[in-house]
Amino acid sequence: MNKTKTDEQLIAEFQGGDDHSFVELVDRYKDRLINFVYRFLNDMTDAEDLVQETFLKVYKNKHAYREIAKFSTWIYTIAGNLARSELRKRKRRKTFTMSQLSYEDNEFTPVDPDKDTEGIVFNTYAGEEIMKAIKQLAEPFKTIIILRDIQELSYEDISTILDIPMGTVKSRVNRARLKLQETLSYLRE
Amino acid sequence: MQNDECIYIGEQFTDYQENSLTSETRARVDAHLTVCSSCRDIYQELNRVLDQLHEFPSLTTKPDFTQNLMSKIDDLNHQSPWQRVYQSSFTRVAGYAIAAGLIVALGLNIWIDPISPNGIRDYTGRENPQIQPMESIADNVDSLLGNTADSLKIPHRATNSGTSSLQLVSDTQ
Repeated sequence: MNKTKTDEQLIAEFQGGDDHSFVELVDRYKDRLINFVYRFLNDMTDAEDLVQETFLKVYKNKHAYREIAKFSTWIYTIAGNLARSELRKRKRRKTFTMSQLSYEDNEFTPVDPDKDTEGIVFNTYAGEEIMKAIKQLAEPFKTIIILRDIQELSYEDISTILDIPMGTVKSRVNRARLKLQETLSYLRE
Repeated sequence: MQNDECIYIGEQFTDYQENSLTSETRARVDAHLTVCSSCRDIYQELNRVLDQLHEFPSLTTKPDFTQNLMSKIDDLNHQSPWQRVYQSSFTRVAGYAIAAGLIVALGLNIWIDPISPNGIRDYTGRENPQIQPMESIADNVDSLLGNTADSLKIPHRATNSGTSSLQLVSDTQ
């Protein structure tokens, strides 16, 4: 029944106190957001935690949403900010760990076969290659490729989410694609 | 070999692929792609990459995702107001600010030491001989009164039988 309602109608109902509308929004966005966030974090558990945190923020700050923007851009902005913040934390942790590690500490850690692969197996070689190439892209290019070519969002939505002009979005998409193509041709050599 | 024209054409690929170029620019790209094999290869490769990106395997959350989220929200709703205040970021920031203020106040207190054995320090931390401790003020008053009291013979302490000096601080005699 809720299928006919727009995201904006659902958030308005949720703001009015209807928690069922919130659950409907969760069902609509949880997979989209996991696909978005996973491309940054490359860890399914971390990605799920971050998407949960995104929804918790939506729940706690439901009145912060105003219908001047689409609900999708609002929630993608929250998730994107959290993902970037998580990446910054990881960078700091990595620097700290590397500087603290002695030779003895640097033991072999067996890879958990379940980690990072829950629910996803990139069967094709091409898929793995592309994931590698996306990982190698600089952050602004990576974000733009994920939003435009994987999430298939409009230029307008991306412009709102990243808070950059539409022209910049377009030129960045073009440059990111060329960089991706360049990286892939290098990997194939 | 890439030249300025190749760079310009490369910049148009996204709009070319999405059919959003003017007819004039589109004709220019078409013309270039027929003569430049390097750009043609890049464009074909780019299209292959885009096709693969669009067919990327889709990830799904765990089946209990929504249930876990809602139980977190339940916990949140059952928190006491104090727990909410304690966990809020505003409270954390306010806590850090108060802690920083206390540290600064403590530091200032040590720096501007009001009780110094040799005198009183001014606000810069240096001892200032012009600021006298209470004991020396008492001595000064004592000597001043002593000089005048000698002539006037005023017994200024009921408990003392003589004309001993005024003791502002304590009985030291």
